[in-house]
Amino acid sequence: MSLTATPPTKTTRASRTRPGLLTIALAVVVLALVPIAVTTDRFLSLGNARAILASTALVGITAIGATLVMIAGSAVSMAASQTATVVAMVFLATLDLGLAVAIVLALLGGVVVTAIQGLAVGYWEANPIVLTIAAGFAIGGGSVWFSGGTPVNAATGGYQILNATPLGLPLAVYVLLLLAVVAEWILRRTTAGRQMYLVGENRAAARAAGLPVGRVTGVAWAFFGLCLAITGIFLAAFNTSATTNLAGTLTLDAIAAVLVGGTAIAGGKGSALRTLGGALLISVITDVLLLRGYSTGIQILVKGVLVLAVVVLVHVRGRR
Amino acid sequence: MTQPLVVIDALARSFAGVPAVREVSLTVGAGEIHALCGHNGAGKSTVVKMLSGQLTPDAGRVLLAGEEVDLRSRQVAQQLGVALVDQELSVVPALTVLENMMLGDIDAPLIKRRRAAAERCREILRDIGLERLRPGQLVSTLSLGERQLVEIAKALSQRARVVILDEPTATLSEAESQTVFAAVRRVAARGCAVIFVSHRLPEVLELCDTVTVLRDGRRVTTAPAAELTVERLIVHMLGETPHRLEASRQPDPDLTHALRIEHLRVPGRLADFTLTARAGRIYALAGQLGSGASDVLRAVAGLHPTADGSVELRDRAVPFRSPVGAARAGIAFVSNDRKGEGLFLDQSVARNLTATRLHKARTARSLAARAGLPEDRLADPVRALSGGNQQKVFVGRSLDRPDVHALLLDEPTRGVDVGGRAAIHRLLRDAADAGLVVVFASTELEELLELGDVILTMRDGRVVETYQGGTDGAALMRDMTEGKDAA
Amino acid sequence: MRQERLVPAAALLLVVVAFALTPLGTGVPLATFDIYNALQGFAQIGLLALAIGLTMIAGEFDLSVVGTYAVGGMIAVQAGQSSAVLGLLAAVVAGAVIGAVQGGLIAWLRVPSVPVTLAAYIALLGLAYAISGGLSVTFTNRDATLWVDQTVAGVFSPRSLITLAAFGLAALVLGGTRLGAELRAIGGDRRASRVAGVRVDRRLVLLFTTSGTLAALGGGLLCFSFASANPDPGLRPLLIAAVAALLGGVSLAGGRGNPWGLLAGALAVALLAQIVAVAYLPDWSTQLFYAALLAVIVAIDSPGLRRGIDRIRARTRTAEA
Repeated sequence: MSLTATPPTKTTRASRTRPGLLTIALAVVVLALVPIAVTTDRFLSLGNARAILASTALVGITAIGATLVMIAGSAVSMAASQTATVVAMVFLATLDLGLAVAIVLALLGGVVVTAIQGLAVGYWEANPIVLTIAAGFAIGGGSVWFSGGTPVNAATGGYQILNATPLGLPLAVYVLLLLAVVAEWILRRTTAGRQMYLVGENRAAARAAGLPVGRVTGVAWAFFGLCLAITGIFLAAFNTSATTNLAGTLTLDAIAAVLVGGTAIAGGKGSALRTLGGALLISVITDVLLLRGYSTGIQILVKGVLVLAVVVLVHVRGRR
Repeated sequence: MTQPLVVIDALARSFAGVPAVREVSLTVGAGEIHALCGHNGAGKSTVVKMLSGQLTPDAGRVLLAGEEVDLRSRQVAQQLGVALVDQELSVVPALTVLENMMLGDIDAPLIKRRRAAAERCREILRDIGLERLRPGQLVSTLSLGERQLVEIAKALSQRARVVILDEPTATLSEAESQTVFAAVRRVAARGCAVIFVSHRLPEVLELCDTVTVLRDGRRVTTAPAAELTVERLIVHMLGETPHRLEASRQPDPDLTHALRIEHLRVPGRLADFTLTARAGRIYALAGQLGSGASDVLRAVAGLHPTADGSVELRDRAVPFRSPVGAARAGIAFVSNDRKGEGLFLDQSVARNLTATRLHKARTARSLAARAGLPEDRLADPVRALSGGNQQKVFVGRSLDRPDVHALLLDEPTRGVDVGGRAAIHRLLRDAADAGLVVVFASTELEELLELGDVILTMRDGRVVETYQGGTDGAALMRDMTEGKDAA
Repeated sequence: MRQERLVPAAALLLVVVAFALTPLGTGVPLATFDIYNALQGFAQIGLLALAIGLTMIAGEFDLSVVGTYAVGGMIAVQAGQSSAVLGLLAAVVAGAVIGAVQGGLIAWLRVPSVPVTLAAYIALLGLAYAISGGLSVTFTNRDATLWVDQTVAGVFSPRSLITLAAFGLAALVLGGTRLGAELRAIGGDRRASRVAGVRVDRRLVLLFTTSGTLAALGGGLLCFSFASANPDPGLRPLLIAAVAALLGGVSLAGGRGNPWGLLAGALAVALLAQIVAVAYLPDWSTQLFYAALLAVIVAIDSPGLRRGIDRIRARTRTAEA
């Protein structure tokens, strides 16, 4: 048995060269995109750049949060849309207490609801997909129960400040950039962040090493909840009223952005800045297709194929 | 006697230039139970792997019933009638006994003939004395011993001519082992050739007809079991120069910094364990798989939630039912499963070294130097390192941490080459000298004798004997393989 | 009793009793029409639940079934304007191809199923939009629409009978051949099944082909019944099918479950929806029911929770000693 130590040379070279594969593939995509984009009518305009950033903002904010959850090994949450919706409702319903109070309550709501799921995943090792499907039903059902199924409207107009566009860009874009930097800082510089990679890569090893697996998972989900809550607040401010399907396809759009950013579904790899890049790439491609007159169907189809390609590249690389 | 069923002729195999098996020959007749004995690294598992199609020999040939066969893969070996029952069970707990028997059976019809299959299953179960199992019973409801028996039954149901059993009883209780023996005897009585690998020498003598002893990849002797005793087997296995542990090396009774384990119990694994381990010394737990040695370490590290008893470190109680609690109390654990439960293989060496550190008082660079790792590999993923260097990372992770007071290691040099092994031993000695309590579990005599200041031999979940010095390999081997009362 | 039988049996029993008791609440006796309606609801989600349930038995999770459902419906409607059978056939073939491609990626490239099927779902959604131009497509083959929903023996319709037949066929194939055991082996312990000689990769491709086929068939039948095809059914059908599968005794960890359990799970979910409809309960109450049922299933299947309970037991045992 002690003689079965494998000669290291072969694997060494292979794993050193492989990380380049995804980068090269993405570089090819971007390079191919540039001439197509530049020759597209109206692509190179300030207005269009603004439109791309604005359309990235809300999905991007949620995706930044989802990145931490995926890195920490909890795969995906199927309850993102419902959480953002219920936060929007809380925000609008409490606006008459003042903007600050409404924001705090909304953030608190999003964080608490999501962190509870995170603690169940972290401490109980509950299956995140089943758990979040259950949470989605509970939150969705609960929100209809409380709202009575009618749209929740803003009591006052105090939310207008959230729709401000300093320097021509929606406030949400600045928040997205800020959150991406904060998330990256958490992942790289804080103990909890570094432990997220460890827990995500090998949960059993993290447990045996005495790392606080439950707490780390909880922190990742709490941050995700914060991002969801911010998304919900902006959604509310933008739409001025909240119905049960306010957040639409947020759940899967966010996951798509995280996956295109190259984060591994099983955890342990990824970065918030790359997710930002993934979200932007999706927006740019959609935008180019839109400007060139392709239908919504083609836009979604291309997005799906892009996600599929990146997923295959990332995970083939991950497995030997 | 007619022609023997299995003929192994001058098999040889080396790994990276180091010979593991050198020209081993033996024969097994139909109906014979042939034991393969040897100390760790003697080459038993390599022989078993070559016979079962998991490794190709460098030289030599295998004949089955007089015909030379090429055992390319495990599937080919199965088709030729060579069945292997080893620790890595191939029974699936989610299936029933019957389904497991049919699983992967190339002869089984695609469409089940339920009645006939169940009847045949029952017949086989009866054949090996397992009437109490129903074909429809889920394997997840069976004990480990019963699963082992289902594995044997499965090998039989696939019309095996040669059955290889690699440590089938290591994790089984005495009673369970007896059922396995009864089954093995019936298998042999049906005309199969049985090759039996075990560390438990008394059971080898009790069960087998013939014993072949390997040492350093060579066949030392083949003799009828009736002519052997445990003592003589040990001499054959270890050679003429048994390793010795001299009298205790460091008389430094630092009791205030001790790790006190009292009446530690893990249901089904560890009966009762008490030890006061002093700082500055290295304690060795000598025990084969299933002896409880590794369970002591796992329980103290918080990985057996059902453990009870009491553990104190530096006079403070250790909350030993959760790994977080144990780690916070100052216990660092190095598992025997480096890949599954140890390292973060895709992360860098630097990140692995600092994984469990709260304060980055020391940089990864100085730690790498301390652990004897090449500095230019700090940014590489751990996966790319050799086994020896991976283990250095694993051990190095817990060194030079002011918050760690006790270091527990399960098989600290498994899968590590000779050079890496010496380096790791030096690291552990340094750690002890720096005031840590060091406890490790191992099955390797040289390691136990080289490194341990105090050696506790264990078997069947109990301590057999505690040696402060003045022991040798033969004594340890006897304790580990047959227990005190049998000696 | 095993969990894979206990959970679906308990769920179905509970819901049947509740269904039988609804007249006490509404004051209106149950009619055979209510049972017909419940079975129509069953037909709507049944094939999807079977598709996703089968993949879950093998330890995989096919999120794309709802995309295949949409594309299948779209193809069935467009190709079936003149001949409904031809339309269904085209849909089923497309579903099989979609499933086979994904199965190939998952089995041979060893890519986890969740991200692959999620990406495929997005792509299929786009495909459904592209085929239809983003609008609902009307199905003009009136005969087919009337035929699939006509009552048979009072409570059945061809649609619910086809769905039941699919469950029956699945049960027959998985119960009568070694495929059933192999599927559970793959889900329960993939390493051991490879060691035992199961051709895991081929089985996975077959499995995803089957799930694609079933989903496309389900989508086609539904669109015939609605006389229109909607390019975006949303995630709701997927989630309800997942609830049905989980109530049917499978687990996301794999290795557990059989078609009969899945049938019970799908029937339970359909009956629950019918109770809500008959009793005029608000829609959110269904969602809360689903949430509560799943919460129980999550708790049963959480290893960390079980360990925690062990720990507390060990502690009380020490305290007593």
